[in-house]
Amino acid sequence: MLGDLDFSPLLESWRYLAAGLGVTLALSALTVVSSLLLGSAIGFARVYGPVWISRILTFYIDSMRAIPVLVVLVWMYFAFPLVAGISLPPFWAAWAALTMHVAAYVAEILRAGINSIRPGQTRAAQALGMSGAQVVSKVVFPQAVIRMLPALGSIVSVTIKDTAIAATIAVPEYMERSQTLAGQSFRPVEVFTTAMIVYFIILFPATRAVDMLYRRVAHLGRS
Amino acid sequence: MTFDWGIIWHYRAALADGVAMTVLLAVATMLIAIPGGIVLALMRLSPLRPVSAASACFVEFFRNIPLILLVYWAYYVMPVAIGIEFSAFTTGLAALSLNVSAYNAETFRAGIVSIRRGQGEAALALGMSQWQVMRQVVLPQAVRRVLPVLASTWVSLFKDTSLVSVIGVSELAYVSLQIRSQTFRILEMLTAMAAIYWLLGYPQAKLVDWIHRRYGVSE
Amino acid sequence: MNATVVLDYRDVRKNFGSFVALDGVSTRVHKGEVVCLIGPSGSGKSTLLRCTNGLEKLDGGTISLDGIALPDNETGMRDVRRRMGMVFQSFELFPHRTVIANVMMGPITVLRLSRHDARQRAEALLEKVGLSEKAESHPASLSGGQQQRVAIARALAMQPEVMLFDEPTSALDPETVGEVLNVMKRLADEGMTMVVVTHEMSFARRVANRVVVFERGAIVEEGPPSQIFDAPTVARTRDFLGHLGWHG
Repeated sequence: MLGDLDFSPLLESWRYLAAGLGVTLALSALTVVSSLLLGSAIGFARVYGPVWISRILTFYIDSMRAIPVLVVLVWMYFAFPLVAGISLPPFWAAWAALTMHVAAYVAEILRAGINSIRPGQTRAAQALGMSGAQVVSKVVFPQAVIRMLPALGSIVSVTIKDTAIAATIAVPEYMERSQTLAGQSFRPVEVFTTAMIVYFIILFPATRAVDMLYRRVAHLGRS
Repeated sequence: MTFDWGIIWHYRAALADGVAMTVLLAVATMLIAIPGGIVLALMRLSPLRPVSAASACFVEFFRNIPLILLVYWAYYVMPVAIGIEFSAFTTGLAALSLNVSAYNAETFRAGIVSIRRGQGEAALALGMSQWQVMRQVVLPQAVRRVLPVLASTWVSLFKDTSLVSVIGVSELAYVSLQIRSQTFRILEMLTAMAAIYWLLGYPQAKLVDWIHRRYGVSE
Repeated sequence: MNATVVLDYRDVRKNFGSFVALDGVSTRVHKGEVVCLIGPSGSGKSTLLRCTNGLEKLDGGTISLDGIALPDNETGMRDVRRRMGMVFQSFELFPHRTVIANVMMGPITVLRLSRHDARQRAEALLEKVGLSEKAESHPASLSGGQQQRVAIARALAMQPEVMLFDEPTSALDPETVGEVLNVMKRLADEGMTMVVVTHEMSFARRVANRVVVFERGAIVEEGPPSQIFDAPTVARTRDFLGHLGWHG
């Protein structure tokens, strides 16, 4: 059963898999950056914007919390072109869908971070005569960022894991290439076990780095 | 291009079955993963190094791989490793349970650790045994801290059940995607799928917010 | 005392829902005067202070600074806040900045002072409150009394015309209360105009020019400490002081 493992198909196709890993990392990096930008904009507008904007954004964020990534991905790739009349290549459809999803989480993290700062801090800053923008940029946000770091850091690993779901719309990333190789070589045990180890090797240090970063800056967030 | 939204009504019975399967999967997974998480958390806190290390390895491993890969792995590797063919449902349930147990373990551990040492010492001073301290003092307090996180995990799990569609478990996503490919009503079926997940998930997300406000410990 | 009026309160009213926090308060604070507001919790003294600094909006009446009513828009209020220093019960130092950066922050962001000038000013003030050696520490590593002294320095860095203290020693350990009161006493001796909400009766007696007794959102009695503490004319004042264990 497990006695006759044969890893040679993996060795023969390592370039094919490595290219897939490159796509995984590129898609992850792009998604993280765009989600941080979009998510921050959404988060700030939700907390400080007018009520009607805040309502719409809350609805958007909660909807993204309710709908699976797989569903957003599949809709973006297969259904969106029928509505918009333009079809996106798999990579960019995945990027758009993942960004929509992850940005909602970033926005939620931002809101929680801002709300975690005691109102007394805002009052103290106001008492010095600071403007609303100064209160946020000099006092509230710098403290909130420190508290948000662990959650924001976890966005990196969440995104890397979510990119694997992009295999379902044929983005040629590591998961999809593993599936293809498993099918062609009839060696799913070896291929998928290797994939697990590869993902673990990437994700574990990312998780650990976040923990360490958090412990280093935790004292700055105390108040 | 014309759309035929009636297709959704036409397949209502199949979609309802898919919803039922999604709910069943999520409930069954949680029923396994809560005791699983507690056992792993207690192992992690054990003074015996090998026991706590085994738990740590399990938790870290299953938290740090994509769930969809775990689903494939369970599908292809479990039968070979154990020598028994499982149904798609059992396989999907196993993958989800491994994943959620790992998350729950961290949740329970954090909950237990957060109870101040003084509480345990006070109970020990009353002459309680270690086990009594755990059951009567530490765990009841930990529940308050754990409940909101478990609720969030539940919402994630509910969505993550969609991933077992890739091995043919006939839950909501699988059923919707099947109808899509049989009828070529792509926009209608994919939108219906998203809408049904939204209808089910949105109230859950709101409920979780409420639980966080009600029970959340702010420090 | 016939010095200039700095703060003029006329029939100030403030409600929180159905709760009447301030029920028509009128009084004046003159230049160089130290006014202590005393009274039971929830009697409105802190609310009056927060209204003074525009952190709460009035529901009636006016508060004037140097004869000009406080503006009711946020931008106008900001200019007024620069001229008032405020010290909070919970210190509210900014935990992500060092002690000296806390003191420099107002002058740099609001007064647009250069870093160099702001640092000089901050160093002098930390010297004044006796915390020069803590300049590069983070607030979390300071005792409560030290944090409150930094908060006083931070407020003074704006060179305010009047200092508002909102129960500055209520959150402190008993052994650090004295160091904060000493700093405040020295400030009073230098002629700073101060409005102090406090439960420290001995401080009020020793330092205040005038003591204002609050109850249920209104002023029960006001006068020099000798009158309030030794010969209160109003029974409610006697009750309140007696309740605190003050017997002349």
